[in-house]
Amino acid sequence: MTFDVNQLDYALLAPEFIILGLIFVVWTLDLILGRAHQKLVGWTAVVGLVVGIAVAALQWGTRASFAGALRIDEFSVFFKIVFMLMAIGITLISLEYAGRFLPQPGEYYGLVLTGTLGMILMAESNELLTAYISLELLSFSSYVLVSYAKTNPKSNEAGMKYIILGAFSSALLLYGISLLYGALGTSYLPDIARAVSRLGEVTPALGVALMLILAGLGFKIAAVPFHMWTPDIYEGAPTPITAYLSVGSKAAGFALVLRLLVGGLLPIHGLYQTVFAVLAVLTMTLGNLVAIRQRNVKRLLAYSSIGQAGYVLVGVAALSTLADVAEQATQGMVLHLTGYVFTNLAAFGVIVAFQNVSGGRELISDMAGFARRAPFAGLVMMAALFSLAGMPLFAGFVTKFYLFAAAARADLLWLVAIAIINSTVSLYYYLLVIHQMYVRTPPGFEVAVNGHPAHGAHEAPHAPVPAMATAVAVEPIGAAAPVGNAELIAAGGRASRGAAGAHPGTAAAGIRVVPSADGHAPGHGAHAVQGAHDAHGAGGNGAGTPWWRRDITADMPPEDAFPPHRISWVTNLSLALFLVGIFVIGLWPQPVIDLLVEASNALFAG
Amino acid sequence: MVPLEHVLVFSAILFSIGLYGVMARRSAVLILIAIELMLNAVAVNLVAFAAYVDPQQFSGMVFAVFVITIAAAELGLGLAIVLRVYRMRTSVNVDDLDMMRW
Repeated sequence: MTFDVNQLDYALLAPEFIILGLIFVVWTLDLILGRAHQKLVGWTAVVGLVVGIAVAALQWGTRASFAGALRIDEFSVFFKIVFMLMAIGITLISLEYAGRFLPQPGEYYGLVLTGTLGMILMAESNELLTAYISLELLSFSSYVLVSYAKTNPKSNEAGMKYIILGAFSSALLLYGISLLYGALGTSYLPDIARAVSRLGEVTPALGVALMLILAGLGFKIAAVPFHMWTPDIYEGAPTPITAYLSVGSKAAGFALVLRLLVGGLLPIHGLYQTVFAVLAVLTMTLGNLVAIRQRNVKRLLAYSSIGQAGYVLVGVAALSTLADVAEQATQGMVLHLTGYVFTNLAAFGVIVAFQNVSGGRELISDMAGFARRAPFAGLVMMAALFSLAGMPLFAGFVTKFYLFAAAARADLLWLVAIAIINSTVSLYYYLLVIHQMYVRTPPGFEVAVNGHPAHGAHEAPHAPVPAMATAVAVEPIGAAAPVGNAELIAAGGRASRGAAGAHPGTAAAGIRVVPSADGHAPGHGAHAVQGAHDAHGAGGNGAGTPWWRRDITADMPPEDAFPPHRISWVTNLSLALFLVGIFVIGLWPQPVIDLLVEASNALFAG
Repeated sequence: MVPLEHVLVFSAILFSIGLYGVMARRSAVLILIAIELMLNAVAVNLVAFAAYVDPQQFSGMVFAVFVITIAAAELGLGLAIVLRVYRMRTSVNVDDLDMMRW
């Protein structure tokens, strides 16, 4: 393939140039404004990305190639827009988090943009060298971002693990690319497609090359034998970056896999289809089974994202030389990836919001009662987790249905059966999180009924910072309540970290929250016990009351005992946007179908 | 001219030494150096293929130049992160990176 340098059409790359310019604008602004105005820097990035999306949308319908190396078609435009939307989402949920937990937030926004540029180029690369360089652009940005929380040893450890494993996997990928180039004499995907269909078989050199490339890309998408990095890096990275990796890096990896497999290697796909089927089974099963045992919510979502990659691999296995089956499988994959982007962004957005109000906690048990204190965020989390599990009405159902239908058409019914069993398994651990958020009471607000001791902080083996703040005492106001029936106990250690200690003024009718004078509550002992409350009247649950007559509400502290979390409007706005994304795909309107069909069919027009 | 096979065997040996280094070494710096060996094997491969398989074009050579550049950048970034871990832990042994597991 040859091209004339003087005839390159740079206008094709307008969105990429906008992002490139934006990166420099962001870094310069950061230099001028400094840390105090980091939010302004973030907003600049958001505005620039909106412009980028508008320009990219204008490209819809063009099919052109830039020097044969980058292909601008509906597929790349679609992913461009998805990635830029994702970058907007990441920036919005970072605005508060970065100010609290990260040094130099301005540079951080710039690095998110460079990584996004890498993702975009990955989705449109049509040549192996370009693909590799854009992949490295994404990887390098991620290495820095993962270890961005300088003072946090976990973040540093994650960064070091990530760069060692990432560099290793990229060396494997590169060796594979070099062998492929040697075996076929070209690195352009259309030429590769012609060469392999002429060859008609997998020669030993080609086989080794494909295995190595598979290993390199498998690392990026976290498919199972190459997934070992995922949980550690997801746990150690700053939470918005965890979202960025689990969403962007994975979707970009799959976009590149699709380009390579559909655009380059489709003629011989049948010869190694089984490999992908086995990978899909391993990835789904291991991801979902190990997720059950996780106690850290970021780690849980890491394993869940491995499971999700397994579902997409079902689609990869379903690719075939039959045109309509391959098209449906591709549509399924594109659809599932898009749904997954919004869903996982929503889930991580909620975790970021939770960490903002809780000072960086990340255990599932820490989220107890979160939905009560932040109803909207809890709702978004529930929608996101249901969508990940594939419940109807949410995005995950439609996308999985489409994907598995394609696999069924490709005669992979056994694979579909395993995938469906896995979806069911995944629902279990998603429900564990929902259970914590909705059913459990917030730590520090456990109620002791009929003299049973309140189990205040037993589920916090990781000792929080020694309780230093105001322990909270709750006093009934008004009508004299019988003492000793139910005691509302605020355990000192945990309550101090919640908003209760922070806003003693938000007491509501009936209950007054009083900061106690005592400053230091050692350990987790139930600290301030005062008064009693019997908010629900004479019902009472005596020992002889049968279960169907029990008043379960009597065991719960009243609603207003929990001061609401203050979640910033930006976070709520971004959560609302993600929620809209989940439902727009989940309700499956015609325009979305057309868009996706066009985007994935562009891959076959090569 | 040296036959292509010789060059390929050489690069395969170089790659394998790098692979062994990554598996066997426990110091992060030495692991990064071993990765560097693997990338150099790739560069040798690419130049050889460019000369023997695809002599009319330079794409293999260009590829090799990019690989060298990226390898340098990767090592620089890697060492910076290793240095920071060293400051925090006074160790660059990868077995000591055990804050997070399972």
